[in-house]
Order: sequence, then C-alpha cells, then structure tokens
Amino acid sequence: MINLAARDIKHTLGKFIVTAMGVGMLLGIVLIMIGVYRGMMVEAEILLNDIGADLWIVQENTLGPFAEASRVHEDLKDIIYVVSGIDKSEALTFQNIQLPGTLKPVRVVAVGFDIHGKFNPINPERLVAGRELKNDHYEIVVSDKTGFVLNDEIKLGRNFYRVVGVTAKTVSNGGDPLVYLSLKDAQELQFLYSNKEIQNNVARGVVNSESYMVNTIVAKVKDGFDIDEVAQEIRKWQHKSVYTANEQKDILTKNLIEKSAKQIGLFTVILIIVSTIIIALIIYTMTLEKMKEIAIMKLMGLPNSLIIEMIVKETLILGVFAFIFGNIFSHLTYDGFPKLVILQIPDAWALFGVVLVASVLASFVGVKKVISADPAAAIGG
Amino acid sequence: MSEHSAIKVKDLVKHFGKGDSLVRVIEGASFEIQKGEVVALIAPSGAGKTTLLMMIGCVTEPTSGEIWLGEEMVYKDKWIAKDTRKIRREKIGFIFQAHYLIPFLNILENITLLPQANGVSKKDAEQKAMELLRYLEIDDKAYNMSSQLSGGQNQRVAIARALANNPEIILADEPTAALDGERAVSVIKMLKKIATEQNVAIITVTHDDRILPYCDRIMKIQDRAIVFE
Repeated sequence: MINLAARDIKHTLGKFIVTAMGVGMLLGIVLIMIGVYRGMMVEAEILLNDIGADLWIVQENTLGPFAEASRVHEDLKDIIYVVSGIDKSEALTFQNIQLPGTLKPVRVVAVGFDIHGKFNPINPERLVAGRELKNDHYEIVVSDKTGFVLNDEIKLGRNFYRVVGVTAKTVSNGGDPLVYLSLKDAQELQFLYSNKEIQNNVARGVVNSESYMVNTIVAKVKDGFDIDEVAQEIRKWQHKSVYTANEQKDILTKNLIEKSAKQIGLFTVILIIVSTIIIALIIYTMTLEKMKEIAIMKLMGLPNSLIIEMIVKETLILGVFAFIFGNIFSHLTYDGFPKLVILQIPDAWALFGVVLVASVLASFVGVKKVISADPAAAIGG
Repeated sequence: MSEHSAIKVKDLVKHFGKGDSLVRVIEGASFEIQKGEVVALIAPSGAGKTTLLMMIGCVTEPTSGEIWLGEEMVYKDKWIAKDTRKIRREKIGFIFQAHYLIPFLNILENITLLPQANGVSKKDAEQKAMELLRYLEIDDKAYNMSSQLSGGQNQRVAIARALANNPEIILADEPTAALDGERAVSVIKMLKKIATEQNVAIITVTHDDRILPYCDRIMKIQDRAIVFE
C-alpha cells in the first residue's frame, strides 16, 4: 500500500523540516531543563564527594554548614579525633565571598582547610593547572569558572592572594565556583575584623578575635565501626548536630534543591504540554490544508483507517524529527549555559517516549477532522 | 429489474430542512440507466443535479425511495447497504469538475491508490493503471506529478482513476467545465468510448451543450421531477 504520510511529507519537505526544527528547539529546551536539574544534583554533591567525610559535626540545632550558619571551635577536631571509632578529623570553613573579577565581580564559595591536615577538599583529578596549596598564607586555588589564571593576584580582605592552581568542574551546591584557601587565611577572612573595628570593639569592651572558629568538623570513621552509632555518640556527649554523609547529601539535595527541582519539573511539564499543543496545531493546520483531498479520498471510498493512518504517521514522524533536532540543539548549546547542564541518554529516551505519546495525542485533532470530513464537499468546487 | 440495468431509481425523494425551512429538491424521481449508456443530466443551477448524483453515489442519504446499483438494492427508505463507502469503492467511479488529483502522489499512485485499498496487489494495480494510461494516451506521464500536466491531461488522469477499479457506474460532475471546446469534446468522446467498450453506465452533469450530441440520453430535472428528452 502507498505510504501516504511519506508522500505528503516528501511533497512539502522544506516546510516539514522547518516545522520540526521549531518544535525540536522546544524539545531541546526541555532536555536542557532536565540537564540543569541533573547538573544541580551533581553540583550539590561535588564538594561532599571531594571531601569524602563520613560525618559532619556542626553547631547544635543547625543544618550547617551549607543549609544554615554553623560555628564550632577549631579544637573540636581534636576532641572528635579521640572519640571511639574515629579514624581522622579535620576543621573546615565555608564562606560566600565576592572576588574582584577582571570585568565584573565573581561570586564564589571559599573552602578553608588545613593544608597539612588529614582531609584535602581539592580533588587532584579536577586540578587542571598549577598545584595544590603548599604555603599557609596568601595562596589560592580557583575554579576555572572564576576567570582567573595562574599567578593572578587577588585582593581579599586585608591581603593579596596568588593563584597557584586552577580546578575544573568545581562548584558549590548553589552553582557558584569554588576557591580554596588555607584554614588560617580562611579564618582570618571570615572572622578577623579590621584594625579600626577591633579598636572600636576594645573600647566597647567586646572580645574581638574569633579566628579560632570554623564552620564544621569533618571526620572519617574507622572500618568496622557503625557510622550511625559513632554519630549518636558525638551527639550525646558533645552537644553538636552530627550528619552522616548521606544525611548531608539529603540536606543538600532534598532541602536546598527541592524547590528548584520542582520549579524545573513544572517548567518541563509546561514545555511538554506547549510542545504537544503546538504539534497538535501544526497537524490540525496540515489536515485543514488537505481537507479537499481527504474529502475526495472519502468520496472515492477509501476507508477512514487509511486516512487516519496517514495523519497519525505524519504526527509521529514530526515528533521523531523534532526529537532528533531537539537533541542536536541541546548538544550544541548546553555548554553555553552558566550552570552545569548534564545531558543523559536515559533522560533523552524518556523524553522520546513522552514525545511519542504526545504526538499520538496531538494527532487526535487531525483524526477528528478526518472523521468529520464530508465526502460531498469534494463536489461542487 | 433487467440484467442490463446499471442504475434504477424509484420514487426517490430528497428534502432538506424541516417545517418552514423545508426545501423540496427531488420529488418522486424514477428512472433506469442501462450498462454502456451515457446520460447527460442537465438542469438550472440549484435544481438538485449534484444532490441526485450524490444520492446515486451513496454519499447523500435520500429522504425516501429506492436505489438499485446493478442487481443490488442499496437504499429503500434507509440505507440497505451496510457499507456505502465499500459500494463506492467497488462499483462507482467519480470524475469532478476539476481533476482533484491528490497533489502529493504521482500520476501512477493516484490511479493505483483505490485498487490497492481494495486489496489489489501493487503490481496488478500498476499494470492496470498503465493499461488505462496507454488507453488514454498519457502513459508517458505515469511518474509525473499532476502539477506538471496540463488541464486536459489531468482530466484524462482523473478518468483513468475513475476507471481503475473496473466500476459499473461513473458519476461525472461537469467533467468538461474546466476545459476548452476541443478538449471538452475529446473528453466526452473518451467517456462515450469507455461506456461502449467497457459496458459502464455514465451519468454526467453538464451545462455544456457541445457535449450533448455525444450522450445517448438527456435527463432533466424539471419542477423537482426527472424527465427525459
């Protein structure tokens, strides 16, 4: 039997391809939206995975250090270290700061850690230029997204810091690039007031220095010990909130990203609905353009099933072409987005399934028009 | 009903609307058309020519009466035929004022579409189509699109399409209206030849006096009734 859909598409190929490209761009945006969500999930876990801690000990009754402000004393790391089952512990700081960029300021998250300590948040695999921190002061490792390069001098607080290393794909859960400082520098930056303010505070009788504070203590549990039990032990005796790696991941992904994820999900659903409506309108218009031919076919006695098959096939082919163009569009553009976009094959297949279902639904408007077409309309001009 | 009868219509009535808006189009039409006969249907515009054609073609449902196509009664106060579309597909060929070929199919595909929908194999349908195109002397255009053909050539393709399913009846709605005098005569001569050689009954609606000499009978709609000249 003649493939009517293929013949019709061939007859108006240019128009069909342009239409498919238009719908494809919408589907490409859907893929990018899903990719942004995937990127957020990955970004949220970059720092957690690079640090690789089993336990996060933070100020009691807080969800620190990422979801809520947390302050604990630096020497808490030594107290934690002697808790039964702890293999190693270290103090870390996290702070949002703004770097004076070359064109415009760059918002970053600064991670402070003891460069001689037992945890190194800089993943060597992500270091694309230079080296890690070697000196206790005035060195900084930056993410390539900051725009800084090796040996750049950056003014932070009271001092200048030299860029000694550049990392790639290092961002915080909020998508801001990460920079790494020694713990001492990071503490100064976060907790040390300016000289004038210290003088002022002294005059008011206020204690100034809190530079021995940190935002969290991270710890690794020895093999053979139950992480939850060790965490419970610390909660019980140290009056601190303790989160396991999985709990911290939940805080980051569920608490912090949940709303964004819902928003992206809603946008994705809306875009799919819009795409379906657009496909339906296109198919409706294409069907209207063929009403005379459809009436003739019905008058000649062609069964409805043959005409409906043509409409459904055309819609499905349009959906498949749009999906292919959408994939091409998303792969050509995803790298230009400021936030990490991760395009995954399973997501593309899922969207393909949705596109097929949407195409079948969209074809109903054309099918309805075919069924209602009056064969007598073929006669009389 | 004689065995040579292709179309028989008895006491056929067609009304549109109801009450004050009732329009009586055909009242008690009765006639019989034999196989191989070419009958011209003439009447002023709006008299019901196309409506009569559509009722015989099982497209428009009459109000009452009887319609026989060959030996099969298709209508008696309601459709007797369960599948009127199948009747059209198997027994009737249509030719329109304009050719109305499907623009996205080539000439050969336009002709083979209906036979293939009827279950004829592609090979057999194409063989028959080529025979028809040769018969109508346009076989060199088989793989062209209709947009590449002249009006007269397209109308000949439309005739070939109407004949592709070996119909017993051809219903033509002003088939020469879009053609100049010479081509109009050529088309009606062709229809006459087909009717004679293939034993097909043809009813052709026309306003064109030039083709009347080639018709066996002239049927008129007068005061909603059918009369023959």
